[in-house]
Amino acid sequence: MKRPLLWLLWGWMATVIVAAFHWAPLAEGFLGQSSRILFFHVPMAWVSFVAFMVAGVRSLAYLAGRRTERRDQAAAAAIEIGLLFALLATVTGAIWARIMWNSWWNWDPRQASIVVALLFYAAYLALRAAVADREARGRLCAAYATLGLVVAPFFYFVLPRLGFTLHPEAVINAQGKVEVEPRMLVVLLASSAGFTALFFWMHQLRTRLALREARLLEGSD
Amino acid sequence: MSSGWTAEAAAVFAKDWRAERRARHAVATLVLFAITTLVIASLALGPIGATPGERSDVASALLWILLLFAAAAGLPRVFVHEEESHTATVLRLAARPSAVFAGKLAWVASLLALLEAVATPLALALFDLPVASPGRLVLALGAGGAGLAAATTLLAAIVAQGRGATTLFAALAFPLLVPLAVLAVAATRAALGGGDAGDVLVQLFLYDSTIMVAGFLLFPVIWAP
Amino acid sequence: MPVARLAFEGLSRRFDRLVVLDRVSGEVESGGLFAVRGPNGSGKSTLLRCLAGLLAPDRGRVVAEEDGRALANDERRRRVGLLAPDIAFYDELSVSENLELVARLRGLPPASGRAVAERLGLPAARPWRALSSGMRQRLRWAFAVLHRPRLLLLDEPFQNLDDDGERIARALLDEHLENGGLAVAASPVSLPLPRISGELRLDR
Repeated sequence: MKRPLLWLLWGWMATVIVAAFHWAPLAEGFLGQSSRILFFHVPMAWVSFVAFMVAGVRSLAYLAGRRTERRDQAAAAAIEIGLLFALLATVTGAIWARIMWNSWWNWDPRQASIVVALLFYAAYLALRAAVADREARGRLCAAYATLGLVVAPFFYFVLPRLGFTLHPEAVINAQGKVEVEPRMLVVLLASSAGFTALFFWMHQLRTRLALREARLLEGSD
Repeated sequence: MSSGWTAEAAAVFAKDWRAERRARHAVATLVLFAITTLVIASLALGPIGATPGERSDVASALLWILLLFAAAAGLPRVFVHEEESHTATVLRLAARPSAVFAGKLAWVASLLALLEAVATPLALALFDLPVASPGRLVLALGAGGAGLAAATTLLAAIVAQGRGATTLFAALAFPLLVPLAVLAVAATRAALGGGDAGDVLVQLFLYDSTIMVAGFLLFPVIWAP
Repeated sequence: MPVARLAFEGLSRRFDRLVVLDRVSGEVESGGLFAVRGPNGSGKSTLLRCLAGLLAPDRGRVVAEEDGRALANDERRRRVGLLAPDIAFYDELSVSENLELVARLRGLPPASGRAVAERLGLPAARPWRALSSGMRQRLRWAFAVLHRPRLLLLDEPFQNLDDDGERIARALLDEHLENGGLAVAASPVSLPLPRISGELRLDR
């Protein structure tokens, strides 16, 4: 990412943080300041989903088109970063649950489904470590991540709705209506956009690093 | 799909059963596993509830945990053994990948059906459970078994090419099988207790068809370069 | 136009950091035999696996043609006849059952392997598990030629064979070449081979 763009991203994220704490109003029915976590928790969960979809799309391209090292590494990098954000979403969710529900963890369907998603993609890393040959690793991991393209939407959108949940309605509810205070919505969308840009910046860095690592390892014999 | 394709898939299926009849690895292991686990669970738990409703809640969860663990313990073999004994090369050279997948899927599904046929009546007897709707029970077991077969066949093909296949299989299979387990338990419980499970069965069929379609599309690239 | 042609260009393959094949090329047409020679560990088997489509090279390409038509990778894997030391059959099945299985998988009449099995002197009822190493090699030969391939890939073709076995195998190879097939044969020792049209020497 070009330097001015990077400064823009930093400025954007700083504004989002300030706005989340000082400009956005508090949501009704939430204890104390706890609703403000929404501006970070939701974008993190969203970015983890974006990351897993990016991994799936790069993997599909790997399988269907030219099998380049770049696509393989880009998929792996997206999953690593996606796992990081999914973990952060889980932790922020647990902190909020502690405040609102007075318990860190209670197997709410949303909590259960993010854990399943985390395990699904953690298994991708286990698979990567278990296959030594580069060609076979690329092929098998790409197939698994492509499978994720189909099952991840299920983990994120279907599984949480199977059963009774205490989790606040997703921003866009079942009727397709947006039901939040306008200023909250602005901050939430700005934060989601910022986090998404942050992901793509991190992803690009991680992919480049992984490619260089691979090249160094190759060159050393 | 031509009749040639069906014949290839049938040949894979038939050779697995023939080898099984002569050596009896898989069936004996799976069935013994099921019986011992059920007996131990029944002994350890003691009476698990006064009413049939309470008992069927626990028993349907127990039945599916048992089936999942039996699958994880016994089924990676269907591809691991082919790779380890180098017979996989023969299949790669002679058969179409999709026919190999279909044959193996049928073989795994038949093993699971056999396992269910042994484990379910035993569980019903041990936990003293009435069956409100036998038809629904067969449907729940069938749909759950089909999804379990599709997922394990696909993942077994993946892990067979890596190191430490059995552990790896557990890591890969667990997240994929959680939704299946949740749905299958709900469907089984409803069949035993007489509740309505139409939605759950539809979701189970959706899961099955998703994994099967994904399996047929992905297997060729998993199977060979 | 030749009935069959097999060419490979700039093939490279590494396993982890070990470079096994480094930019090797070659070509062979109908009736010809391409000899691959080199000591143990020089990449002969890797090359043949790449040619058979069982292993993807890191770089380079393989072109296989039959009657002027190029075969796709998946198609090539099923069309070639490969004989390799690491091919094994089902322990629990007899020689004839294993060959019947192969015939069915290839969409041929189940008995198509019987003639060649008899010619190779294979004990039809004996399971793979109970075969001697020489008999195993004979079964590999039967597997490789059962579907009458145009492209025959032979990795150490006469290993473990007795005089009689080697004579039959050589006759099968001669017939294959006479009928317009081509062959690639790899061996660590300098075997006398018929109709050599090209040669590749590999070293470690």
